[in-house]
Amino acid sequence: MAHEHDQLNRMTLDHCVKCTICETQCPVARVTPLFPGPKFVGPQAERFRDGESVDMSIDYCSSCGICTQACPQGVKIAEMNTQARAVMKEEHMPLRDRLISQTTLMGAMMNPVAPLANAALGNGLVRSLVQATFKVAKDAPMPPAQKQTLAQWLRKRKPSTTPVTRGSVVFFSGCAGGYFEVETSKKSIEVLEHLGYEVLVPKQGCCGLAQQSNGLFDGARRSVMALCDDLLSAGELTIVSSSGSCTGMLKHEAHTILGIDDERLAKVGTRIRDISELLVELYDAGEFDPSQFRETNVTVPYHQPCQVKSQGMGMPAKTLMQLIPGVVVEESGQPCCGIAGTYGLKAEKYAIAQEVGRPVFEMIRATNENLATCDTETCRWQIRKGSGVNTIHPIELVHHALGLGTIPGI
Amino acid sequence: MSTPPTGSRVVVVGAGFAGLYAATALDRAGHRVTLVTQGLGGMQLSQGTLDVLGYRATDERGSERVTDSLAAIDELPEEHPYRTIGADAVERGVAEFLELAADAPGAVVMRGDVRRPTLLPTAVGAWRPTAFVPVSMLAGAPEPGKHLHIVGIRQLKDFHPQLIATNLGRTPLDGVGPVESSWSSLDFLARAGEIDSSPVVYARALDEPATLSRFADRLATHVREQALPEGAVLGLPAVLGLERHPEVLSTLERASGVRIFEIVMQPPSVPGMRLNQALTRAYKAGHGRLLLGSSVVGVKSEQSAGGDQRVTAVTVHVAGGDRDIACDHVVFAPGGFESGALELDSHDQLHETALGLPLHGVLPIEELVHGDYWGAPQKLFAVGLRTDGLQRPVDETGAVVYSNLHAAGSILAGAYRWQEKSGEGIALGSARRCIDAIVETSREQTDAPAGVQGVAPREQTDAPAGVQGVAPREQTDAPAGVQGVAPREQKGA
Repeated sequence: MAHEHDQLNRMTLDHCVKCTICETQCPVARVTPLFPGPKFVGPQAERFRDGESVDMSIDYCSSCGICTQACPQGVKIAEMNTQARAVMKEEHMPLRDRLISQTTLMGAMMNPVAPLANAALGNGLVRSLVQATFKVAKDAPMPPAQKQTLAQWLRKRKPSTTPVTRGSVVFFSGCAGGYFEVETSKKSIEVLEHLGYEVLVPKQGCCGLAQQSNGLFDGARRSVMALCDDLLSAGELTIVSSSGSCTGMLKHEAHTILGIDDERLAKVGTRIRDISELLVELYDAGEFDPSQFRETNVTVPYHQPCQVKSQGMGMPAKTLMQLIPGVVVEESGQPCCGIAGTYGLKAEKYAIAQEVGRPVFEMIRATNENLATCDTETCRWQIRKGSGVNTIHPIELVHHALGLGTIPGI
Repeated sequence: MSTPPTGSRVVVVGAGFAGLYAATALDRAGHRVTLVTQGLGGMQLSQGTLDVLGYRATDERGSERVTDSLAAIDELPEEHPYRTIGADAVERGVAEFLELAADAPGAVVMRGDVRRPTLLPTAVGAWRPTAFVPVSMLAGAPEPGKHLHIVGIRQLKDFHPQLIATNLGRTPLDGVGPVESSWSSLDFLARAGEIDSSPVVYARALDEPATLSRFADRLATHVREQALPEGAVLGLPAVLGLERHPEVLSTLERASGVRIFEIVMQPPSVPGMRLNQALTRAYKAGHGRLLLGSSVVGVKSEQSAGGDQRVTAVTVHVAGGDRDIACDHVVFAPGGFESGALELDSHDQLHETALGLPLHGVLPIEELVHGDYWGAPQKLFAVGLRTDGLQRPVDETGAVVYSNLHAAGSILAGAYRWQEKSGEGIALGSARRCIDAIVETSREQTDAPAGVQGVAPREQTDAPAGVQGVAPREQTDAPAGVQGVAPREQKGA
C-alpha cells in the first residue's frame, strides 16, 4: 500500500508535544494493557515506519477516533493509526474481516430469510460454530433481520400528502438503515416530510466504512465513490442521514483516511447533514419552532457514538431532544460503547469491547430501564445487548414528540 | 432543563481554565453559549492547583516570594495583564471557580487563600507556592516539627521518592526551619501484564474496590515497617483515584493511620484531570453546547452603526467543511504557545494562529529568546494580546479590534506565568472581566433605560481598585457595556 496519500496525516505528528491527553482518553487503553495507547502506536511508532510495521499492538486500536478529537495540537492520531494498521494487515487479511465488512451483502442475504436468519443467530450452537470457524464472537451483538427493507417500504407506502414548502433533500439510509434499522429510516423520512421537505431516496450502496476500519482500503474506496454517484444521482441537493458513522465517512474519513481527493466526494461531504444537525441548524436560524412538540415526560439517556463525536459538530441530538418539553437528556459522558463498527464482533476483542462499553451500559440502566438513545446502528445493537434497554435513534423521540407516532413506554 | 436560554449568543473559544469557567458562568447566567475547542483544554495538564501570584520579579534576574498576592498586583509593571484585570476580578473569578469545582459531579474541593500562597512539594522536591490546592494536597504544607515521608511505587515510572525527600529536607524555609524528610518505596502493580503503567492507569485501578483494598493493606504494612516518627505525614504520587478519589484517600489514611498528601507528577496529571472532568461536567450539565475537536479558523464581522467592527459569527472547521456560528459576543481563550494558539514560525515571525489578532511584545528574535536557560525571562513568553479595560484586544495604536470580542487566559501579553506562578489567577480574573462585560452589555441591550442610568454609579467608591484603574481610558470611546459594571449594585438600592 502506498503511503503517498497519508503524507498529510503523517506531517501532523510533528505537532505532537507528548502531552498524553490522548492516552488518558483512549477507551481501549483504559481497559487493557494489550493496547499501549494512541500516542505510543501513533506519533511515536510512526517515526519508525517507512512502509513497514513496527508494532503489532496497533491491531487493538478500535479506530474510534477519540484520540484525534481530544488532541489539542491537531495531530491526526486515529487516521495515522488506521492507515498503519491497514499496512500491517495487508499481507495476512483474515477471511473473517473480509466477511464482516460486507454489510450490504449481509442485509441482502439475511432479510429474505428473516425468520431463518434470526433463528440461526439466536442459536448458541450455530454461533459457537461461527466463532470456532470465523473468530466472530458467539455472544457479540447481531442485528435482527427485518421482514421488510426500507426499499420495500418505500415502494409500498402511500406518498406523503404534506405540502412541500422547503424543497427537496436526499435521504441517505446507510446499509444498516436500509436493511436492519428500518424503523429509524422510516421515521427520519416522515419527520423530514412533516417539516415540508420532499424526500428523495435514490438507490444507494454501502459507504465502505467497515471495509476501511478492517484495512480493506481498495474495496472501501470503490464503495464510497459508488455511493457518492448514487447520492448525486438525484441532483446536487442537501443530503440528510440518520446513520451517524456512515455520515462521518462521507464528511471526512474517506478523505482523511482513504486519501480520496475527488470532486464528487467533496460535493457529498460538504452537503451531507446528520438529521439532528439539520434540525438544530433550522432551529438556530428560526426556521423550526419547537412549540410544535407535544409534552413528552421522559428522562432519556443519550450516548453519542465515537464516530459521531469525531465529526466535531458537538451534540446536536442532545440539543434537539432538550427542545422537547418534558424531556430530560442525560448524556453518557463516555467515549465509546466498545463496538466501534465491527471491532467488538471479533472473538479476540469481544471482551475488551464489552469492558469499554460497561460504563455506558451501567449508566443507561441506572438512568432509564426502558429507553435509551444513540445515533448509530451498530452502537444501538451493542447497547441493547449490553444493557438490555430498548435503544432508539434520537429522531424517533422527535418523531414521537411531533405526534407522528408513539414509542411504547412513554 | 427544558427551558432553553434566551440570552445573548456567546461563542467561547478554548476549554482551559478561562474558557470552561467563562462558558459555564455565562450559561448559568442565561446566555446561549457554544464552547469551541480543538481538543481538551490545558486544565488536564495543570497541577490541579490554582496559582494567583507566587513570585514577583525584582530585577532582570531576580525574584522574590510574594506574601500578599492581591496587594502585589498594583506593583506589577503596567503591561502585566493583572493591571487591567484588577484584584477584585481575580478574587471573584477564583471564588466562583472554586464553587463550580466543588459543586460538580466528581467534585474537587479546594482550600487556600487568594492572598497568601501555600508552599507545596513538587515531584522534584522543590517548594512551590500556590494559592488553592485540593484537600488531598493540604497535608504537604510545611509546618514546624512536621516530618514528611515520601513513598514511591517501584512500578510507577517517573516518581522518585529519594530525590523528592532529599531536596525537601535540604531546602531552608523562612519561619519553619528545616523540614525533616525520609523516603521509601513499595511494590504494587496497577494491573497484571504491565510494569510501567501511567499515573492515570494507577488512579483508575485504585477506583476499583478490590485493587484499593489490596493497596491499602500493602501501604499499611509498609508504613508499620518504616517506624515513622510522631507527627509524620505521608507523601504519595498523585494517583489516588480518579472517579472515587475522596474515598480512595480516606481509605488509605484509615488503613495506614497517618495523614496523606499527593504530589503531582508530570502529565498526565491526575489532579489536573479530576479538575478538568469536574468543570467539563459542570458545563455540560447546563444548556451550553460543546464543540470538541473543532478548530476556529476565522470570524465574520461587520461595521456597526457606531462605526466599530463587530464579530457576527465565528467560523469553525468541522468535518465536512466550515460552519459559521452566529454570535453577539466572543470570549477568546485559546491558550498561548503551549496550545498552539501562538506560534513562532521558521522565519522568526510571531502569529496568533486562529484569527491573526495583533500581537504585542514583539521584538527582534535576539531579544525574544536568549541562550541562558536559567537566566532572565525569555521575553518571547510575554508576547500576546494586549487589551482595553473590557479585555478587548487592541492594535498597536490602542484601538479596539472587535468591539464584542474579549480575550482571557494565556493568550494575554505581559506575564511570565510559570515563573510568577500566576497562570490560573490571570485566566480566571480575565475570564471574570469578560463575563462582566458580556453580562452588562446584554443587560443594557435588553433593558435600555436601565442601561442609561447605569452611567453614574461607576464613580461609586466601593468599586474595586482594578475596575477604577481602567475606567478613564474608556470614557471617551466606551460602548454601552462599560457603564454596565455598576447597575447590578444599583438594583438593591
